Amino acid sequence: MIAELGHLLAFLALGAAIGQSFFGLTGGSETSRRLAVAAAMFAALSMLTLIICFVRLDFSVELVAAHSHSQKPLLYRIAGAWGNHEGSMLLWCVIMAGYGAVAALTMREGKLRDRALGVQGLLTVGSFVYLLFVSSPFTRQLDPPFDGAGLNPLLQDPAVALHPPFLYLGYVGMSFVFSLAAAGLINGEIDRDWARRTRPWALGAWSFLTIGIALGAIWAYYELGWGGWWFWDPVENASFMPWLVAAALVHSLIVTEKRGGMASWTVFLAVVAFCLSLLGTFLVRSGVLTSVHAFATDPARGTILLIGLGLTGGAALGLFAWRAPTLKPGPEFDPVSREGALVLNNLFLSVSAALVLVGTVTPMVLQWLGELKLISPEAASMSIGEPYFHMTLAPMVAFLLLFMPFAQAAPWRKAELTPLVKWLIPSIIVAVVAAIAAMAMGGWGIFLGYGVLVGVWVIVGVGQDLWRRAGAGGFSRLIRLPLTVWGMAIAHIGIGLFVIGATVETAARTEQTFPLGPGQIAEMNGWQFEFQGVKMVDGPNYVATRADILATHDGRTELLQPEQRSYPVSAMGTTEVAIRKTPTGDVYVALGDQLRDQAGVWRIRIAHHPLIDWVFGGAGLIALGGFMSLAARLRRRAPAPAGTAASEKPASSDKPATPEAGVGASA
Amino acid sequence: MIAPLIALLLQAQPLEQPLPDPVQEARAQSLMRELRCMVCENEPVSQSTADMAVDARRMIRKQVAEGATDGQVRDFFVSRYGQYVAFRPPMDGWGMLLWGFPFVLVLGGLVWIGLRLVRNRPKALDPVPDDRNAEGD
Repeated sequence: MIAELGHLLAFLALGAAIGQSFFGLTGGSETSRRLAVAAAMFAALSMLTLIICFVRLDFSVELVAAHSHSQKPLLYRIAGAWGNHEGSMLLWCVIMAGYGAVAALTMREGKLRDRALGVQGLLTVGSFVYLLFVSSPFTRQLDPPFDGAGLNPLLQDPAVALHPPFLYLGYVGMSFVFSLAAAGLINGEIDRDWARRTRPWALGAWSFLTIGIALGAIWAYYELGWGGWWFWDPVENASFMPWLVAAALVHSLIVTEKRGGMASWTVFLAVVAFCLSLLGTFLVRSGVLTSVHAFATDPARGTILLIGLGLTGGAALGLFAWRAPTLKPGPEFDPVSREGALVLNNLFLSVSAALVLVGTVTPMVLQWLGELKLISPEAASMSIGEPYFHMTLAPMVAFLLLFMPFAQAAPWRKAELTPLVKWLIPSIIVAVVAAIAAMAMGGWGIFLGYGVLVGVWVIVGVGQDLWRRAGAGGFSRLIRLPLTVWGMAIAHIGIGLFVIGATVETAARTEQTFPLGPGQIAEMNGWQFEFQGVKMVDGPNYVATRADILATHDGRTELLQPEQRSYPVSAMGTTEVAIRKTPTGDVYVALGDQLRDQAGVWRIRIAHHPLIDWVFGGAGLIALGGFMSLAARLRRRAPAPAGTAASEKPASSDKPATPEAGVGASA
Repeated sequence: MIAPLIALLLQAQPLEQPLPDPVQEARAQSLMRELRCMVCENEPVSQSTADMAVDARRMIRKQVAEGATDGQVRDFFVSRYGQYVAFRPPMDGWGMLLWGFPFVLVLGGLVWIGLRLVRNRPKALDPVPDDRNAEGD
């Protein structure tokens, strides 16, 4: 019964979303709001019934039988509900309706809210139609099996259990930014007020997306067993493209909010960010890729997703082409100004997104042309991977980060370059010294020096900026700087740490594989590893081969226990590496296979990943900074009287309106 | 007296000996990262434990040690397995378009922005007064 109830609830959510959309677009404000909340509640309850089916192991539901198993621990039974195509699409619908409900409950009344709810309703309807008619998670089977097939063991991991929800909070969060953009275009009002009300949504979605991507990278790092955390796999790129565009968006929204400029570009980015989220979903869910990530494969669904993407993108871009020329241009500014620096930020971020898009899609298009016999098989089989992305993206990131401290320091409209450069001399010196030191230690690699240079430059630049903002107020002033300032500072420090960590880790990681029998010792980078043999250990739903390895460094010894797990239900295995954290990086030990010709001798892969925590910690700080900026908005929203803010004119005069003071305050 | 001797006997050598010259070894490893393991799904030979990848790593080290340039090693694998094996797309013909377009976009963008700003260039602008320490909105 419970699956049928869930099915019914999903239909009720669809009905409510249809109403939400109709009344939102035709002026039935209150009805639209209530229906938005109802749609979200129905959707959430529907998801809950699916989770109950998974927890109670109701194998008469096809999806449960295909993805769960009686021996699976509770956490992964719950996560199993979204660890598959149909369930994840239901999660998508829940989050989409959820954003609509949050908007209905929190946004100030007015045309923008109503129409945004209307557009969000349309997107929700589309998602539910796709869910219910093409990929229903509630399908029953007549002859339920005795037990389920189990979840892919690679996915039975806490990081990857949380990866889809965060990724979808980001992807689908872009849907409400899209709805606000469409509503603003319909209203013909893409102004400072629109930007002020859109920015929190963009910040939230972007920060969630950051966490989702980082969780995936962390999982790849310790679960796939080779210590890589990013491989420019199409599925990874699929989430990186909307991230780059959203990063551009949260910056261009600052210009629109504070100065009323770049309005049409900002709204264009808002549309593109969601279209790229849809494209990412299409790439992952359609099976056009063959990669470790593409677990779901069904071409019919892919076609429908592509049509949905075409309709959404086409309609929005049509609306944009029609309405954008009517938007007022912003106030003038000198090329050397904060606006100028943020324009450059947007240029480099969007070109980065474009090159990731082209690099990801080109091999697929060529392959498709080859299958149509339009080009030769040789021309059709091209790979685009790490070398391409590193060599094209690195200059973009270099320029992007080069301008960052200037953007933080420059006033709006017009800046004097000479005093700015003079003022930043300490940052320049520290960055150059750090880069030379890193290259001297790390073998004079260009990549290494460059990464440390821009990373340190950004971090010290942020420090100088905070120092100046605190001014004579000193430390007590510093800690009382506005939350938005701190949000920006922390996100920018995160970028700096990430770039340093990523380049150092890539340039200086070392790894070796040793054949080790009991009592044998491997030596690497001043560490000794004594292999003591393996034993079999029973897990909840797997059998593990666990190695005991005594690792000694500087006279201290500890036990590392890498495992190989074998899951009898799915006849698959996973590698559980042992990681020893040190201040300078991770010592990473993975257990390989037993040598064929020598019983008791195992392949042990030992690697050193310097500064790997800077990579993940940097990403975490970026998300934290985004959320702090968002929190600053929420805290200040309350006292603003409803009527006055909405009727505000874009600032074209010389004096900024007093409430908008704090120009540098935004990240 | 005996202990270090035993330790020496027990000392394991890595399965795949790195090249003695660290510069050559670094080159070999970077080549391993940009060649695809043909029997795996979307993995470079540097990561894979498949036999094909082990052979490929050995071959790369051998060729690098014998003085082959990076390009010669790549060409060897491409001529054997096709362009698909190289994660680095070719830098000729249409490949130049792929490699060059981001830079063309940046230059085009800079020119476009520059033209717009120069065309609307006002006589003289003043900075917006420095009020960055006020509470932001």
